[in-house]
Amino acid sequence: MGEKSEVLFKIFGFLDVTGEVVTMWIILAVITVLSLVVKKNLKERPGKFQNIIETGVEYLDNFFSDTLGKKKARKYFTFLSSLFIFIIFSNYSGLIPGVGLTEYVKAPTASLSVTLGLGIVTFVFLQISGIKHNTKHYFKRFVSPMFFMLPLMLLDEIIKPASLALRLYGNIFGEETVTEELYHILPIGAPVVMMVLSLLFCALQAIVFTMLVSIYLDEVTE
Amino acid sequence: MTNSAIIAIAAAIAIAISTLGPAIGQGMTAKAAMESIARQPDSAKDIRSTLIISLALMEALTIYGLLIAFMLVSKIA
Repeated sequence: MGEKSEVLFKIFGFLDVTGEVVTMWIILAVITVLSLVVKKNLKERPGKFQNIIETGVEYLDNFFSDTLGKKKARKYFTFLSSLFIFIIFSNYSGLIPGVGLTEYVKAPTASLSVTLGLGIVTFVFLQISGIKHNTKHYFKRFVSPMFFMLPLMLLDEIIKPASLALRLYGNIFGEETVTEELYHILPIGAPVVMMVLSLLFCALQAIVFTMLVSIYLDEVTE
Repeated sequence: MTNSAIIAIAAAIAIAISTLGPAIGQGMTAKAAMESIARQPDSAKDIRSTLIISLALMEALTIYGLLIAFMLVSKIA
């Protein structure tokens, strides 16, 4: 499904590097440099830049505390907030002018491979944290009201990450495609309409993805 | 009709119908949320987060239709 990405070059002869991968490298570099700079100049009385980052972290903390509770939100904060930050950066990378028009830089979340990867990571994380939380009674969850619920429960576990991945991919890919179509109709002015809408939707999709993951996590670690 | 014409109509129907249903559902959800916020402004925060999740879950159905439509359009030779 979707468009096939062009392979730019290969590492070690067998790892294909596409435009999405290059963009992900750039995003990772930006995030790493940003956090290193903030970490180096930590002060008791925060400056302007540190203040912005602190507000962001506080917002994320409150956001996860709403669904998970204070204690569990702190415990799983690293995974959930990394997911949020990565998704929101890659969603917004599609709005930079020129991204998506060439094959060298593309918004990573507009490709099914990336979002399905995020879905698989979430799936593994949910299972591992569920098993760690209640070692003995974890598999009791699948047969909890009655035994014949087992196939439905198993199906539910697989559908969760798949629907997460498809929702994110569909939204971002749809936006990119509509913007491109508008660009073909009228190159100056027309794409702005969709891009302003994208400003809202990109943040919303990141919020929805992480909120659903935290709700599933709350279910698993009851 | 040629094959590509049929595929084009199929894509149009796929996106049209899959927009209609969730749009009605989202409208009803938003209406109920507005009413309950107006009745109890204190619980606006809880209602808002639940509203966003339910809207997103309904939005997913439209997105599936959109993906199918894109897939069909790419089949037109």
